[in-house]
Amino acid sequence: MKTFLLRIGTPDGLLFDGEVERVICRSITGDLAIMAGHINFCTAIGMGPAVVVLPDGTRREAACIGGMLTMMNGECSLMATTWEWKEDIDEERAGKSKERAEATLAQTGLTEQEYKLAEFRLKRALVRLDVKS
Amino acid sequence: MAANMKAVKLRIKSVQSTMQITKAMELVASSKLRRAKERAENSRPYFEKIYSTLKDIANGNTDFSSVYAKGNLNTKPCFVLLAGDRGLAGGYNANVFKRFEELRKGQDCVVLPIGKKALEYVKRKQIPCLTETFAELANIKVSGCFDIAKMLCKAFKAGEIGSIELVYTKFISMLTQRPEGVPLLPLKDLVSEASDKTGNATEEVGKPRELILYEPSAEVVFERIVPEYLAGVIYGAICEAAASELAARRTAMESATGNAEEMLENLNLYYNRARQAGITQEITEIVGGAESI
Repeated sequence: MKTFLLRIGTPDGLLFDGEVERVICRSITGDLAIMAGHINFCTAIGMGPAVVVLPDGTRREAACIGGMLTMMNGECSLMATTWEWKEDIDEERAGKSKERAEATLAQTGLTEQEYKLAEFRLKRALVRLDVKS
Repeated sequence: MAANMKAVKLRIKSVQSTMQITKAMELVASSKLRRAKERAENSRPYFEKIYSTLKDIANGNTDFSSVYAKGNLNTKPCFVLLAGDRGLAGGYNANVFKRFEELRKGQDCVVLPIGKKALEYVKRKQIPCLTETFAELANIKVSGCFDIAKMLCKAFKAGEIGSIELVYTKFISMLTQRPEGVPLLPLKDLVSEASDKTGNATEEVGKPRELILYEPSAEVVFERIVPEYLAGVIYGAICEAAASELAARRTAMESATGNAEEMLENLNLYYNRARQAGITQEITEIVGGAESI
């Protein structure tokens, strides 16, 4: 299989830089996979699990939240707000965060801002738990 | 002579205590610098990549349906001014402000100050502030950058500001930091910047535009990406600015300690000379007195 250069970066640093066969992630419109030879492309990333398929066929899973994905001249850069490899996810923390967010959402009389914040927190926690399991 | 000696002694004491402070500040700055430098180096690839990607997009963009790409009718620029929280960092703050004045060219503008010194500066100059909530540089985390980006986007879309430019200090090495201004929005500003800087505008123009596929549409993608891009770039700049501030402070304090040492040496020499002169005089007096008996 043909491979292409993928760079995954977050504000905390460059997490991945190398040749890959395929990258799958969830964009704002749904799941998409990028393979070598893709046309110049640009989209925004939503929240969801992501998979990087390395040239030797191994799959590395991760939780990917927000950011942008661009393919320019055969080089793909995935600039995510947060990107956590499956092995780096703190399940306990995500679980607690989920409970907290659910408790907040169960309350009445939240402002729109608070509601949205809790909703996002819950979504993030769910993505992390989903990837981990 | 005795009064003079006392004055010198006092002066030595005062220089010594100042030196103690500058030395302590130097040590604090250098230990903090190590971490700040690491943070700046970690965030740099993201910062550069996201900026160059947006530049590529801007260069290849033929779709001006989004307000972020084409800009609005307002010409009032907004500057995000990044300076330190504290002084005593040599020319660090002054250099950023100088760069800011160069870029502003005396025109009417709005500023979003980050860092206490930046806030003080715009207040003194009576430049309108977009917000004062982010005055403390040290407290801003990634989420804070997203708040800043959201606020900027809102103001930009509402037409309150016509362009956004970032002024910060780039950390080049421990000894050099350079104040820089980068245009952030609208995206068409990024294009002109690319051709201006390299100086070979003809080559840039002659190059065929790269076509990019936007999914689902350019407008929707920009709507989502731009806040993200602003937050990323601002976060990167904050990391750089924090490292630059500490590096500038370290260098300034190092030379201050050096100067104090030199002063102490001279003062000690002077003091000893005065003491010796006093003793010699006393001896001469005693000898003179003994002879006269």
